[in-house]
This record gives sequence, C-alpha cells and structure tokens, in this order.
Amino acid sequence: MSDLTAHATSRGRSATTTPDGAASPRGMSGTRGLTRRRSRTPITWVRRGGLSTLVFMLPLLIAFGFFSWWPILRSVMMSLQRTNFVGAAEWIGWTNFINVFNDPLLATAVWNTTQYTLVSVLIGFPVPILLAIFIGELRRSRPVASVLVYLPVIIPPVVAVLLWKQFYAPDANGLFNQVLGWFGAGPLGWINDVDLVIPAIIVQATWAGFGGTTIIYLAALRSVQTELYEAAEMDGAKIWRRFWHITLPQMRGVMLIMLLLQLIGVFQIFAEPYIMTGGGPANRSVSVLMLIYRYAFIQGDYGKATALSLLLALALCLLSALYLWATRRWSQT
Amino acid sequence: MRLSRRCVATAALGTTMALALGACAGTDPESEGDPADVDTDAPVTITVGNLAPTENPESRENLLAMVEEFEADHPNITVEPEETTWSSDTFIPMLQGGTLPTTLEIPFTEIQALIGRGQVYDLTDLVAGSEALSQLDPSILATVQDSDGNIYGVPYQAYTMGLVYHRGLFTEAGLDPDSPPTTWEEVREAAQQITENTDATGFATMTTDNTGGWTLSTLSYAFGGAMEEVDDDGNANAIFADTGATAEALEFYRTLRWEDESMGANFLMNQDDIMNDLGAGQLAMTVNGADSYGNLVVNRGLAPEDFGVAGLPQSEDALGTLAGGAIAMVSPNATPEEAAAALEWIEFVKFQRYLNEDAAVEFASSRAADDLPVYPPLLPVLGGEVEEQYTEWIAEYINAPVEQFEPYTSTIADIPLVPEPPVKAQELYATLDAVVQAVLTEEDADIDTLLSEAQTSVQQQIDAG
Repeated sequence: MSDLTAHATSRGRSATTTPDGAASPRGMSGTRGLTRRRSRTPITWVRRGGLSTLVFMLPLLIAFGFFSWWPILRSVMMSLQRTNFVGAAEWIGWTNFINVFNDPLLATAVWNTTQYTLVSVLIGFPVPILLAIFIGELRRSRPVASVLVYLPVIIPPVVAVLLWKQFYAPDANGLFNQVLGWFGAGPLGWINDVDLVIPAIIVQATWAGFGGTTIIYLAALRSVQTELYEAAEMDGAKIWRRFWHITLPQMRGVMLIMLLLQLIGVFQIFAEPYIMTGGGPANRSVSVLMLIYRYAFIQGDYGKATALSLLLALALCLLSALYLWATRRWSQT
Repeated sequence: MRLSRRCVATAALGTTMALALGACAGTDPESEGDPADVDTDAPVTITVGNLAPTENPESRENLLAMVEEFEADHPNITVEPEETTWSSDTFIPMLQGGTLPTTLEIPFTEIQALIGRGQVYDLTDLVAGSEALSQLDPSILATVQDSDGNIYGVPYQAYTMGLVYHRGLFTEAGLDPDSPPTTWEEVREAAQQITENTDATGFATMTTDNTGGWTLSTLSYAFGGAMEEVDDDGNANAIFADTGATAEALEFYRTLRWEDESMGANFLMNQDDIMNDLGAGQLAMTVNGADSYGNLVVNRGLAPEDFGVAGLPQSEDALGTLAGGAIAMVSPNATPEEAAAALEWIEFVKFQRYLNEDAAVEFASSRAADDLPVYPPLLPVLGGEVEEQYTEWIAEYINAPVEQFEPYTSTIADIPLVPEPPVKAQELYATLDAVVQAVLTEEDADIDTLLSEAQTSVQQQIDAG
C-alpha cells in the first residue's frame, strides 16, 4: 500500500515537473523576444493590456496610497513641521529632531528598549522552540498540548496585561509573592522594582505570545524529514545529537525569521509597559514607543512624535539589514 | 515593458497621492473675528459634547429637553448633542478631522496646554459681553486665562485639592472621622495608626499618568513653594528644586514610605488605582480632588457613609491649594457665529440652573433619579450668594451626606486657590512622576539630585517652546 502511494506521488511529481520543465525554456526565449521588440509608446502599452492592468491595480493603489503610503509621507512632512492643526503648519527644518535628541529621556528610553530586546531574546526566543520540540515528541496528547500552549493567545492583550499586573502585586497577597512565600522567600516588588520591571514585563509578553510562535515552530518541525531522524537513530545518535545536528539546522530558516520578527516587535513594545507601569518606576520601563506616545498625546507635539517615529523606523531598517547581512550564510540552506 | 508599467504605476500613485492630499488637506479655520461683526441672528448649527450616555437616561433626557428649550428660545441656533467626552488621545485627531464638537467639557489640568498650543477659541470678548459669565469668580477665572488676561474657556464647576479619606477605616483604627488630620504631622500619625490597627494602607499617592507630579505640585504649594515663576520678560522658569518645598513634600513621602512603612507596597498607581483602593477600603487617605465623592460612590462602590474629605493641610508658609474642576471650551475651528452660539449654550446649560429655580430643580431631580450624587457646589463659581440660593432650590434632592464634607468646606475660605504651573504643566508633571516613583521605590534616592535633574529637564522643555 505504501509502495503504491509512493509510486503515485512520484508519478504525480514527475507529471507536474515535466510540462514546467518543457515550458520554462520556451518562456525564457519568449521573454527575450519581447525584450528585443520592447517599445515604450503609450499606444503599444495600451494595446498590450497595460490599461486593464492599471484598472485592476487601481483599488490596491488607492487603498495602499491612502492608508499606507500617504500617512508615511505625511509623517515625514510632519516631522519637519510645527503644527497645532488649527493654523497653517510651519516648516521648521530639523528642529523636531534636535528637540528629540535633546530630550534627556531619549537615552533612557533607548537603553530600556535595548534591554527589553536583549531580555526577550534570552527568555522569549528559546521558550517556543523548546516547547515545540517537546510537544513534537508527544504522541497522543500532542493536540491537547498544542491547544493548551495556544490558550494565552486567545486572551485579549489588555486583559492579559491587567491580569499579570495583579499577579505582580507587590504586597504579600500578590499571586507570585504568595508562591514565593510558600518557600519562605519574598515578597518582591516585581514591577515596582527598578531591577525587575523589564524582565517582569518580558515574561508577561513571552507568556502572551509564545503560543503562536510555538505553533509555527511545530509546523516547521513537521517539515523536517523523518528519514533523517531514523537514519541518525540507526547510527546511535541520542536525542541531543539529533536535536543539534538535524532539528536545529532544518529549522534555522524559520528561527532566523522568527528572531527578526521578535526583534522588530520588541523594539516597538508599548502596550505592556503602558498598561502595567506607565513607564515607571522612575522611567525604568519607558520604551521608545512610549516616548512617542507621550510626545503626541501628552505634550500634543506631533512633530516631535513623528520625528522620533521616523528615527525608530530607520533604526529598525538598519537593524533588519544588519541582521540579514550577518545571518546571510546561515539562511542559505 | 516592465519599465513602462512601472512608470505608469508611479504616475498612478502620484495621482492617488495628489487626490489623497487634496482630500486630507484641512480647511483653513475661520479667524476669530471682531464680535461686533458677528451676526448673532444668522442661522447656525453647533455640536455639543458630553451628552449623558443611555446608562443615565434621566440626565440624558434632561439635556435633550434643554436642547429643545434652548432652540425654542434661539430659533436661529440648531444644537446637535453628542456623547463625545474629553480624552487627550482623541482631542487632536478630532480637531484635525473636523469632528471636534463646537463645545466640549475639559478638566482644569488641560486648558493651559491647549492655550499654549493655540488649540482653543479665545472667548475674551464674548465672555465680557455676557452678564452671567462676567460675574465669574476672578481666582477661578484665572485658570482659563493666559498671561495677557485673555479668556479661553468657561469654568463652570470648581473644587480644590483636599485630603480624601475613608471614614470607616478611621473608626476601625481608633481615629475620629469627624476630626481628620489638619497638619502633615497629623497625617503621618494617622497613617501609622491605620497601618498598625487595620489591614489597609494608611496613606498613598498617585504616581503615574502625570498624577504623581500633579499631586507633588499640590503638596509643594501646601509646603510653601511654587513650581514655576514667570519673570518680567515673560520667561517661565522652573524653580521647584530651589524653593525647598518640593523637597519637603518628597521628604514627607520618604518618611511615610521607608521609616513608617505606612504607604503600602504599590507605588505605580494612577487615579483609577487610588480610587479603587479607597472604594474597596484598602486605603485610608490620599490627596485628591475634593469632589471625588461621585467617582468613589458611583463608580468604586464606596459606601456613602465612608466618604470623608478635609481641607488640605497647610504648613505655616503655604501658598494654598491647587484648583480643579471643569471648563467648557470652544473649538478653535469654530466660526465667530458658532462661538457666540456655543457661549449662549454654555451659559444656558451650565449657569441657568444657578439663576433659575426651575432649571435647578430639573437638573437636580434628574440626577437624583439616575442615582447620581446631588450636593451643593464645593467652590462657588459665581459667588457665594448665587450658590446659596441654588443650594436652597436643590435642597430637596440632595442625596450626598453633606455633613461629611464639612471638614473640607469649613476650610475653603482660609486656603487660597493656586493655579497650575503656567507653562508646560503636563511636561512638568510627567517629569516629576519619575521623581516621586524614585523616592518611593529606591530607599537611597537622593531627593536633591533628583529634583535638580528634573528641574533642568523641565527647563529644557520650557525653553524648547
């Protein structure tokens, strides 16, 4: 039965590859032919269906233009303006950027955000990988385990943060302090403690987010060819060697992307510190995005807020480029 | 071909952008014209915020009935009420999007920032032309004026900061709830006694969302120091690190927190957290607006008999206490006709009840029917005699235990009213939030250094304009 299935699959594959393989060279020569006869007059453009392409593209262009590109362009303009949204906006050059750099809180926010990122890589990155591998090893209880792991994602973020705020209550009645109390430790200040606040927030953010990431890793794990494990087992490789030499290399593409997404996400951390601590204690949990929020909504200074937003976007672009450059060799499988 | 399509796509994008740009461009606001040119008989439509939600049907109906009555009296004015309320998150988007109501109620704490940014209508001439509004108490009116004396809003309800306390916890701790503390030393002793004899926190202060700085400024005034001063050239200077009063206030916090341990364990609290703790009987004393009764009893479940409020203790050289309250503002995008109509409406809806018995009874009875608190004004906005008359009219509907307000109301005449720091108050509060939090979470926090750094930071923000 299994032989038959394998045969059918392989026939199916060859059936799809053969026409593709045959079509491909024709397609190539066809494109080259077009290139030779390329003409840029509007009439030929219309004749070749350019107009209908444009018509089909128009909804997309309008939607993206209106809701995505225009706000971005508007932000760039606003970062160079002073406006109260009543009178005409005044162009003030780099003043907003200078004011942002002169804000003594900027260095604090950048340093805090860097710490959020580092702690999240330390705590938040390995947890879903390990969980996925663990769940992947389960047989009958895998679906139940997947559901249980995913459950926190279902809780609305604000509710989850408020819930954890209660767990972190700094008096002896707080949930975590009660647990510590059973072992004769604590109570700790948790989010009231300048040294614990960032790790405490990251633990909550990890709890809230690891379910989704674990499911993605579980899917990636299923794509690892089981033959490799079987062969390794036959060669006497124990679980750790199988993980190190098969699972990790097979999953590194997904891991690298997930890490990049995590870095970008944590760099923009806002809701957790905003709801849990308001940036305190003593600005110890203020993130860059919270600073942007304060500029815009507390100080009503949208110019300064958009200036810092652009700087953050630039920093994230640079970070992403640097990351992709640094990991380019690992990404090639 | 591909290049050609790209060109077309770019052109299309450009067109889209241009269209979007045209669509998004805000309309130029009408300039605030000479009131003499305003045609008050021309048909005009105004939108008014703060319509009570359907959860409070009687108050909602009362306002809708007032709209009908107002429109009957002013046939050229159409009033469109909506439920929009003030929020710093939505104010500017509404302003830019053109959906800000013509008039909206805002708290005292916001008006100076709006004046500074030019986001509120200058009502100076219109107020001067109104008989009722020109009687507004000058010290309360000062909160809505800029340094040149121009008026940017109508304060219609006022209170000062006071010591809000839980009478039940006072009794439980062996204290007399009718004799609340009158000095800071007595506040400290009461906090100690409550912490020792009950499960509740003796004293706590708000620390986040700018409320830490707001309360610290209030305490600084009570300890005798201003936060800012404006020199003869009109330049504002942050001075709170130099006066010594703010340091004294922080030292008061430090003593209660680290020596007496009577401030509990949570030092990241906004106004909601503090109110919830008071309502739940987990906190005995805090510094807050003296009008917290409604918030505590209606929203936080505090038993009316447990609400207590006293005048804010004042040191010997105290400046007074910070004022709070509500202001009716007019959108800066309003035309002079709309502004004039809005002011007519404000006068009708907010002040008619002080001048007309039927309106007073209607207002008080609908609130009482919605189980909302009814009590005499804490701070007379139109002067004592007017408010006394009003209190008589609504006496039948008063449902709050006003005798429990007596420790506060008996001090009103003696404690001067001090306005907010004149320039960048919210930035000052935000900066001082971190100082208050540092003092409460780090035992070795150096108060003088923290204040000095905060003053430099605030000064930079003032100078940045």
